[in-house]
Amino acid sequence: MGKSRRTVQIVILLAVLVIGGYAIWSALFGDDKSGPLEAGSEPPAFTLADLNGGTVSLSDYKGKPVVINFWGSFCEPCVKEMPEFERQYTKWKDKDLVILAINLSEDTLTVNNFVKRFELTYPILRDVNRKTERSYGLRQYPTTFFVKPDGTLMEVVVGGMLEKDIDERVERLLQL
Amino acid sequence: MLSIENTKCECGHQNSVGTVLCESCGKPLDKELAKSEEPLEMRYDGVARRSQKSNPSIIDRIWNFFSSVKIAIYLIVITFVTAMLGTIYPQENTFINLPDPASYYQENYGILGKIYYLLGLSHTYESWWFIGLLVMIGTSLVICSLDRVLPLYRALKKQQIRKHHQFILRQKAVYRDRIEGDSKEWVASYGEALKKKGYKVHFEEGTGTALLAEKNRFSRWGPYINHIGLILFLLAILARSIPGWQMDTYISVPDGDTVQIAGTNYYLKSEKFTVEFYTDDELPDELKGTARAKKYETKAILYECVSNCSDPLKEPVLEEVKKDDITVNHPLTYKGLKLYQFDFDLTPRLNSVKPVLVDKRTGEVYGPFYLPMKEAETQHKLGPFTLDLIANYMEFALNSEGKPTTLSREPNAPAFVFSVKGPGLAEDGEPYIYFPMQKDKVKFAQDTINRELADKIEIRVEGMENVDFSEATTHLNVRMDKALPYLWIGAVFSMVGLIMGSYWQHRRIWLRVDDGELALGAHTNKNWFGMRSDIASALKKIGVSVDPKTLDNGGKNA
Repeated sequence: MGKSRRTVQIVILLAVLVIGGYAIWSALFGDDKSGPLEAGSEPPAFTLADLNGGTVSLSDYKGKPVVINFWGSFCEPCVKEMPEFERQYTKWKDKDLVILAINLSEDTLTVNNFVKRFELTYPILRDVNRKTERSYGLRQYPTTFFVKPDGTLMEVVVGGMLEKDIDERVERLLQL
Repeated sequence: MLSIENTKCECGHQNSVGTVLCESCGKPLDKELAKSEEPLEMRYDGVARRSQKSNPSIIDRIWNFFSSVKIAIYLIVITFVTAMLGTIYPQENTFINLPDPASYYQENYGILGKIYYLLGLSHTYESWWFIGLLVMIGTSLVICSLDRVLPLYRALKKQQIRKHHQFILRQKAVYRDRIEGDSKEWVASYGEALKKKGYKVHFEEGTGTALLAEKNRFSRWGPYINHIGLILFLLAILARSIPGWQMDTYISVPDGDTVQIAGTNYYLKSEKFTVEFYTDDELPDELKGTARAKKYETKAILYECVSNCSDPLKEPVLEEVKKDDITVNHPLTYKGLKLYQFDFDLTPRLNSVKPVLVDKRTGEVYGPFYLPMKEAETQHKLGPFTLDLIANYMEFALNSEGKPTTLSREPNAPAFVFSVKGPGLAEDGEPYIYFPMQKDKVKFAQDTINRELADKIEIRVEGMENVDFSEATTHLNVRMDKALPYLWIGAVFSMVGLIMGSYWQHRRIWLRVDDGELALGAHTNKNWFGMRSDIASALKKIGVSVDPKTLDNGGKNA
């Protein structure tokens, strides 16, 4: 009887450890869907169409510094930023810098015209029905996410940036 | 040195450490207790709690911690207090849209609000420490119950019939008498009388001069069934953190649109949203002339994606799974998913037009052609004319440099720029800007922009049947709570347990006759009045008249 009692004790305490541990752990570190993304958290995964008929996933760039920028042709600061990102891209692409510019669910013609106008060469991705935008909890445009090579966020910048702001952050990102 | 406590009773029974009353004969084991005359403490029939051990290991120590009722009460009190704190200000999760909670609490509730937020009380019920408390209460419930129910079950399963005199005479209801005649017969006839009162009666084998009568033993299991219910309840609450078990979000669906419910494989189409208001005839005088909603209704179709669900290059293949009219308090329900009518917006939205091209020089009309506001075909051939769509704007405007731009991605002031080729027009096409909405046509002076081309051709919509727009947007609350049935099961168990323990009492009567000396003791957990009257009325049946009040042996709960 003593043996079986010990077994019951261990089984119950283990069950408590597993169930309770899971509950507390997910309360502590689980993705807080209500809150905004912050430095240190992991950006939500996505797979989106690019302009060349292929698809691009965030997970394709594991181990590389990634800049995710949400933009729309209707947002003037986004429009100003795009050529700056283009210059940053040409400057740093040898160092594995990835820039993913996600369009805010506009239609094909609008996106194509825009990209042609600014001669953008970095990957432009197409969000559909604001799905990705929502999963990133976007509230203002533009919003830029700087993702470290380890896959967590270094910084989230809401609003337009000057070229030196982008440059400074990219340099920090590349040092990591 | 450890001193091994002597737990062997004089009746020869070996008891576990911590036993108060001998498991067999019921004699108090503690010397102090044995000397006293006070009524006995009958909790758990005096058996040792399972966890009580002479040399506890670490596992035993953890176990003992949770086995303590005192700890359980502290835990419950702490949980209650913190749960109360969580109700002082609104919780963060009660807001649909709260971009900056820190400033919200400070602005609305001042410095106290700020402290409240900083302490993390604005999300009390999701915080790790609150969940930790629930986990600890759950653990305590399991361990406390297990440690008590098993020994109690064993103690009640094999009860000694002839109890020690000290045990019988120190109960809270006691009767002593001298019996004339055959004791065995007396005991048998009293047993018979108790049987009629619904007792199960056991006589001591062989002698027949001792008796144990009991009824409603099942009520002893009430608290434990209640605990099982509470544990289920807690587990169900914790299960809500499993991904996909709980959802509480909102979707906005314009008439005719199909929108994916984020985080699921479901899509919802709103065929039409309607709002009806009461007419003045239906309203009382004081409300006449005000808009009082009578009915909000969304004609909804729920689809499930069956293939191409996550391929951004392909259109998802949808299969209709449910069609329903959602009204207030009548959600669309499908496999635990519930869609409630929440809000609406009556701003119309232009979806598509079917314009025609008119050659003003000949009066010839070509078309119509389909022109949706989004993702329109880039080329339209209309008779001798070819229209190439070269740009479109959802909310047309001119930017600071005087160039056309769009102010938003909603079709509030759509504009289309075509390159038109055809008879009498330039070889490589002439640009023509088209505003589907009359107000924009005037505002931006379509004809002036198009210059000479405006005299040659015109793109226009003929009749409202060629205009498709969404009259309204419905806002729905999407809910899913897979834990709910388990919560109900837990609640039912809990209630059944409560009722068992509250409306029935476990009553026991021990009796022994030694040389004509009758000693009778009885125990119950409550309603001693009923207990005493049971004893007295059974006695009366065999001709012994006793006032039930005189059976009271003192002690609490009498």
